[in-house]
Amino acid sequence: MADTAPFLSLTGVTKSYGPVEALKGVDLDVHAGDVLALVGDNGAGKSSLVKILAGAHPPSGGEIRLKGEPVHFASPGDALQKGIATIYQDLAVAPRLSITENIFLGSELTRTIPGLPGLHLLDKRRMRREAGALLTRLSVNVADADTPVERLSGGQRQAVALSRALRWDARMIIMDEPTAALGVQETRLVLDLIRRLHAEGRTVVLISHNMADVCAVATRVAVLKGGRKVIDRGIDGVDADRLAHMVMTGREG
Amino acid sequence: MNEITRRDLVGGALALSTVGLAGTAAAAAGFELAVVAFQMSSETHARVANAAAAAGKAKGWSTTILNSEGSLPKHAEQLETLIQSKPSAIIVAMGKPVEAEEQLKKAKDAGIPVVMVMSGASPHILFDIEANEYKVGAEAALWLLGQMGFQGKILTERFDGNVGTRIRGRVLDAVLAENTGVKVVGSHAMARTQSWRDDVRQGMQTQLLQHGTEIDGLWASFDGQAFVIDDILKAQGVKKGQIKFVSIDGGAETFRRIADPDSLLMATVAIPFEAMGSGAVEALDRIVVKKEAKAAITAGPYLFMDATLVDAVNVAQFLKP
Amino acid sequence: MTALRPFLATYGTALAGLAVVVVFALLKPVFLTPANFAIILKETAFLGILSLGFTLALVTAELDLSIAEVASLSAVVTGALVHAGFGATVAVAAGLSTGLVCGAANGLVVTRLRVPSLIATLGMAAIAKGLGFMITQGVAFVGRWPVSFTGLARGSIFGLSNLAWWLAGTAAACWVLLDWTRIGAHLRATGEAEEAARLAGVATGRMKRAGLTMCGLGAGLTGVLLAASLSSAAPNMAGDHFLYAIAAVLLGMTMFEPGRPNVPGTLVAAFSLKALGNGLVLVGAAYYVQDIVLGLVIVASVALSAGALGRAAFVEKLNFKRPS
Repeated sequence: MADTAPFLSLTGVTKSYGPVEALKGVDLDVHAGDVLALVGDNGAGKSSLVKILAGAHPPSGGEIRLKGEPVHFASPGDALQKGIATIYQDLAVAPRLSITENIFLGSELTRTIPGLPGLHLLDKRRMRREAGALLTRLSVNVADADTPVERLSGGQRQAVALSRALRWDARMIIMDEPTAALGVQETRLVLDLIRRLHAEGRTVVLISHNMADVCAVATRVAVLKGGRKVIDRGIDGVDADRLAHMVMTGREG
Repeated sequence: MNEITRRDLVGGALALSTVGLAGTAAAAAGFELAVVAFQMSSETHARVANAAAAAGKAKGWSTTILNSEGSLPKHAEQLETLIQSKPSAIIVAMGKPVEAEEQLKKAKDAGIPVVMVMSGASPHILFDIEANEYKVGAEAALWLLGQMGFQGKILTERFDGNVGTRIRGRVLDAVLAENTGVKVVGSHAMARTQSWRDDVRQGMQTQLLQHGTEIDGLWASFDGQAFVIDDILKAQGVKKGQIKFVSIDGGAETFRRIADPDSLLMATVAIPFEAMGSGAVEALDRIVVKKEAKAAITAGPYLFMDATLVDAVNVAQFLKP
Repeated sequence: MTALRPFLATYGTALAGLAVVVVFALLKPVFLTPANFAIILKETAFLGILSLGFTLALVTAELDLSIAEVASLSAVVTGALVHAGFGATVAVAAGLSTGLVCGAANGLVVTRLRVPSLIATLGMAAIAKGLGFMITQGVAFVGRWPVSFTGLARGSIFGLSNLAWWLAGTAAACWVLLDWTRIGAHLRATGEAEEAARLAGVATGRMKRAGLTMCGLGAGLTGVLLAASLSSAAPNMAGDHFLYAIAAVLLGMTMFEPGRPNVPGTLVAAFSLKALGNGLVLVGAAYYVQDIVLGLVIVASVALSAGALGRAAFVEKLNFKRPS
């Protein structure tokens, strides 16, 4: 690792919802270029951790550092500005909006008309062109960038959501169950997308129940259990069966 | 595929229904009379409009009634559209000459004669057929005070949202100012809403609860209010004549109640709405068809028609056999 | 046929409208004269501006049931000031502000107090109605008002009535805003997928407030123009526009962009409704026939595009279907 400090570092992070303690003090370092898989049972604290990382919920306690500097994410938009994009399982895209509208949602391109300096109009042609280019870059072929996203397959939707993250030039991309409810073909497409991100030097945090997928793309794995991180190690020597055992028992052995 | 057929069906149905409508309308050439009523759901407006339409049809004129549904914008819009179709004449019942001034002026410029009924004066129309509301108000007020011997307590149900009924109330005030033996112990002012009957019932029920036993007289600004109050009193077991009860407008239901021993209503000042409607047609016939001068009918902006006080003495003449 | 299908799905209602125009034109040639079209256009102004405002609110999947009462209140405020002898500028500014404030209040109640817009705006409707009666005491302000005020709505420029220009200006502004600016893109995203939009960094609360505020402003402008055009102001004067405005927006959602509230759709629908009313008057249909035909047209048009409307964002919201 070239950087001395991790890209993102959590120290003693806790989260309570009323009397329920979802996270009981989590330390986690995410290094630049990692593909970190976050695994654990339902209720282990994965969703709470993702929401904190994404800026959707503030932590109840503990500290977050971004490249060594203490940081506070006021909103998802704020986290996005700081280079962290999150792709949620259900809410990754707005189904009825077009591919272009989805990719440029929140970062629309505008142009001015000569003589009307104050008026910023959407540059639809350029957005359509760049949307096509982004998808091509991810090796996803869609005929028309004006197609509503609801007509796309699950894998293609993930690609659209990823394109949006890339539009923001996100350094770290959090993907929440990206392969859930996808067929074999589609899953392969999404895993390829993750490999491509890794190859571009981006950091990926992958939340998944599918141990085979995790083992296929992750470089590191962190296991959560009962609101604590119990295992944090490289993926070397871990296969799907062993990982499933680790999740169940909370032990590496 | 399914979608296309449904769309086609609806489009076709629309076209058909319009063709059907037009067939009925295009029947008569010749004199085309358009009657615009401000609010057909109001009985008096409907009486004028229907009487005018009936009189027009009797003359063999092609006649249509439009309803502005009590809406000023719609009133202006209908007049404006009508002018495009160039009718031979327009009669407006209870219209709004000030609000629709722009449209009335266009009618005048287009050479379309307009007669209004109970609407108010306008320089752009032939004339407005009116009952003199000041006279009407005075008749009602003096009948009530006379019956009470100019002594006692009364309740009033007012409506200030309409010019005519407001004038009736103001004239009552003037009469009361000169005759201090009669005191208004309670009054309810009706709001201008679609549920005005409920409003009158609630308001009067409260007043009657407080003053019901002590009052000698009741005054209502128009018959519709009087019917509501009459029904409350009937339910309370009050007998005819115990409370002197007058209102204004006249009409079959009013006359029936005045003659009915179970009803409390004793008198009304009957405004000749039907005669106003047919009178408008008659006047148009003379001016437009027979080319008489307008001055032969009336000199001023108004054509007044007399209202008649109807009570137990003469109600029999007004009841239909 | 396959090529025809998407065309019909997008323009079917507009074509039905065109069919109606042709039928009226055949029956009553005066219907198709420029003078008559100028009248329809002028009469479309009130309904059109009110409906365009409603469109902007509905784009964010929020309803505004207070438009007619707010328009009436704005008319009353404007009329009261003109009647009291204030200048046209002051009166118009007050009338527009009334609409703006009511709309902003709707927006705040919906986003900050989390009251569903269906209820919040129903409350606003009652309040605006009450205020209108309070100011007027039930008696309309009527008078021969100065031309500096009534001229806003009466008269014409380049042969087109001032009211038509107001409509054109409002429509152009709404269209540019909704289709060609970032705010427009965010308004739509807020309506179509609120949570996804929020997570993408769109200020959804602010967008809802903006939609409802602009809706109020549209109602305010409608009220001011009504008062100027009729030289009077009554607390219920815009009342009959409410159902027509809703009908116009729903009909508009069946064209151009099926399932989405959109500016050209609303405009064409408002014009069609007014053209239908105008044609029925011209062919001499009795008043009750007009009501029946208008009702049938509204129900039929919405029924035939029920598929598109059923998927509309605000309908899903009313069904309390929320993304999990």
